[in-house]
Amino acid sequence: MTAFNLNEDQQDCLQELINVAMGQASDQLARYLDTFVHLRVPSIEQVSTTSLSNSLNKEQQSVAVVSQGFLGYEGIRGEALLVYQHKDSDCIGNILGYEPDELSVEEQLIDLSSILTTTFLNVFALQIDNQMSYNAPRLLSSGQDALAVYLQQLSFNCDMALKVKITYQVTDYSFNCDMILLIPESAITNIKAVIDRILADY
Amino acid sequence: MTSSVLICDDSNMARKQVVRSLPSHWPVEVQTAKNGIEALEVLRNQAVDVLFLDLTMPELDGLGVLQKIKEEGITCSVFVISADVQPAMQAKVLELGATAFLRKPVEGEVLMDELQVHGFL
Repeated sequence: MTAFNLNEDQQDCLQELINVAMGQASDQLARYLDTFVHLRVPSIEQVSTTSLSNSLNKEQQSVAVVSQGFLGYEGIRGEALLVYQHKDSDCIGNILGYEPDELSVEEQLIDLSSILTTTFLNVFALQIDNQMSYNAPRLLSSGQDALAVYLQQLSFNCDMALKVKITYQVTDYSFNCDMILLIPESAITNIKAVIDRILADY
Repeated sequence: MTSSVLICDDSNMARKQVVRSLPSHWPVEVQTAKNGIEALEVLRNQAVDVLFLDLTMPELDGLGVLQKIKEEGITCSVFVISADVQPAMQAKVLELGATAFLRKPVEGEVLMDELQVHGFL
């Protein structure tokens, strides 16, 4: 039994908070790319950080990961990872409409990630009367076990993560990216308290 | 006169949110549906004055419901309540015959204004 076990109502509430945040983030993305973003129902699951870093490491040749820490009131904090397939990150310059030498692919990925992460989390926070501050986003190096090492270095000891898989699918291009929120167990307990407060209102 | 209202959303919380945003002085009979298929079943079998419709849903989504309503000639005013606030999506639902688009989470005052504008209050 971990802090993660959300009951049906808590899960439903969290899902709805995420839906609203995802909708606004997609709207930002659509404006930024001047295109339409197709939304799907997001999936929420709990994963161990070990299995997460293993699965990401397995694909490390094929993905680029941008990470950004966030911190709110009431002990709500975590790390947002945006995972891009390399086939997508290669064409990102075209999608964003940059000239080849204007901005490096890395800078473009960081740019885009920051927009998605901060829009998503700001809207999420607003709904729970909270406010987030952010660390600078960084692109994780794709060396051997880089992600595992990075996860270990995080300031919180995070065995389990809440994996919110949000697929932003851009219709004009074949472009997908997944957002993964790593939230330490203590912060999950705090989020649950907030959710219970919201549910008590209904 | 009592209005017949149907609320269609896959989220229990979102359905409750709509229920409690309804103006207290509006006499209504409320039914709910968890997805587009359930909503259509209700719409085909009884008269519904106002449908509050979510877009992103499993089974049959909101756009699918709007299309079916059009195809089958069902008469009912549809207020789309969605988190997908992209201008292109708002235009699309209005084009498909929705009466209004409201962003999630819906607020009582906004809902009341829209109902007033469209003559339900």
